[in-house]
Amino acid sequence: MLTRIGLASVRSPVTSSLIKPALVRGLKTIPQPPGFVVGTVNEAYVHPKPNKMHGSLHWTLERGVALGLVPLAAAPLFTGVSTVVDSTLSAFLLYHCYVGFQSCIIDYIPSRVYGSYHNYAMYLLTFGTGVAGYGIYQLEQKEGGVTTLVSKIWHA
Amino acid sequence: MFASRTASSRLLASSSTKVASTSQIAQRAFSVSATQQHAAPAPVPPKQALKEFKIYRWNPDQPSEKPQLQSYKVNLAECGPMVLDALIKIKNDLDPTLTFRRSCREGICGSCAMNIDGVNTLACLSRIDRSESKPQKIYPLPHMYIVKDLVPDLTLFYKQYKSIEPFLKNDNVPEGREHLQSPADRKKLDGMYECILCACCSTSCPSYWWNQDEYLGPAALMAAYRWMADSRDSYGPQRKEKMQNSLSLYRCHTIFNCSRTCPKGLNPAKAIAQIKLELATGA
Repeated sequence: MLTRIGLASVRSPVTSSLIKPALVRGLKTIPQPPGFVVGTVNEAYVHPKPNKMHGSLHWTLERGVALGLVPLAAAPLFTGVSTVVDSTLSAFLLYHCYVGFQSCIIDYIPSRVYGSYHNYAMYLLTFGTGVAGYGIYQLEQKEGGVTTLVSKIWHA
Repeated sequence: MFASRTASSRLLASSSTKVASTSQIAQRAFSVSATQQHAAPAPVPPKQALKEFKIYRWNPDQPSEKPQLQSYKVNLAECGPMVLDALIKIKNDLDPTLTFRRSCREGICGSCAMNIDGVNTLACLSRIDRSESKPQKIYPLPHMYIVKDLVPDLTLFYKQYKSIEPFLKNDNVPEGREHLQSPADRKKLDGMYECILCACCSTSCPSYWWNQDEYLGPAALMAAYRWMADSRDSYGPQRKEKMQNSLSLYRCHTIFNCSRTCPKGLNPAKAIAQIKLELATGA
């Protein structure tokens, strides 16, 4: 591929080992077809299988949660801390972060290039979200929720 | 007597129109014959205005050589106002090996799309920066495979355009008469049908840079919405169904580079937002 875009001279062993960090050198990526052309040049690009959970429903949920965060984040300023509002806010925030990182993984660790590493990244994200969810549960139980924690830090 | 007077006035009239037409020609033409009757002014040497152009060069016949910027000096006094004029002048006078696509030289065909001073645009619609202090840098469209010099490989771009089926699909086409459309419905297509597929928008999109083999890109998505929005097309649901995955459409992160760079002043980001809205609401 480097030869094709005229960057073959970059591919000397010294520079590549210097430039690429150890982790990247260890990863085996899937070679892509020249010009990303799959099939003949006259065949149309084939779309992935339709799945609304990855399409419009995902998008609607993502936007809905992001919009819902605004009143939830503002509510404790006027009503004081309540466990229901605080748990909802934490859950929304957690999902918001999850979706954001999920988007990053789809963008930068695509399965067509990184193969199973894409799945490992997703598992890691799901695991991290689970741990964070447990942390939120502990916060709600012992510390009085995220809002209380923030106000404590604010006044500290 | 009467007859001869009309004849002479006709003669006069015809001669006066003749005068008017020659003066019109004189106004349009650069050389005015009337001045030749006066003393010829001293010949003024043409003003030199050397402008430097730095142009991306890469030759597939020497694949081991790095791409490089080659510098050309063009006398702007002998060159048209647009960057494409300068490129054609360089190819004609300085270096016939310089390779680029061009056709209509008036912003209709979309062939001469390239990156000029960091902006994706059409060379034929982009004026030469007249200041001689700074060189003008010309690169091919960013993040594309390069065929040679300023010619990018647009095969995938056209395959994506083909995948959205850019033609009218309707099972109940009226027989023996026109396929009517109300003015309001026709208005929905304004700002979309003008797209000339120059690929400026798609190649300005970071999401397209990283994932162009799966994300369709603004140009193909606006073309897709052009057919979804057409009142005469009855395959809207099927067209929308194709977008129901995480890659084809939803890699758009509303960066808006597409709308900023479009040399035709169109708004692909709005079309993509409309597709997202219609997919979400089921409209």
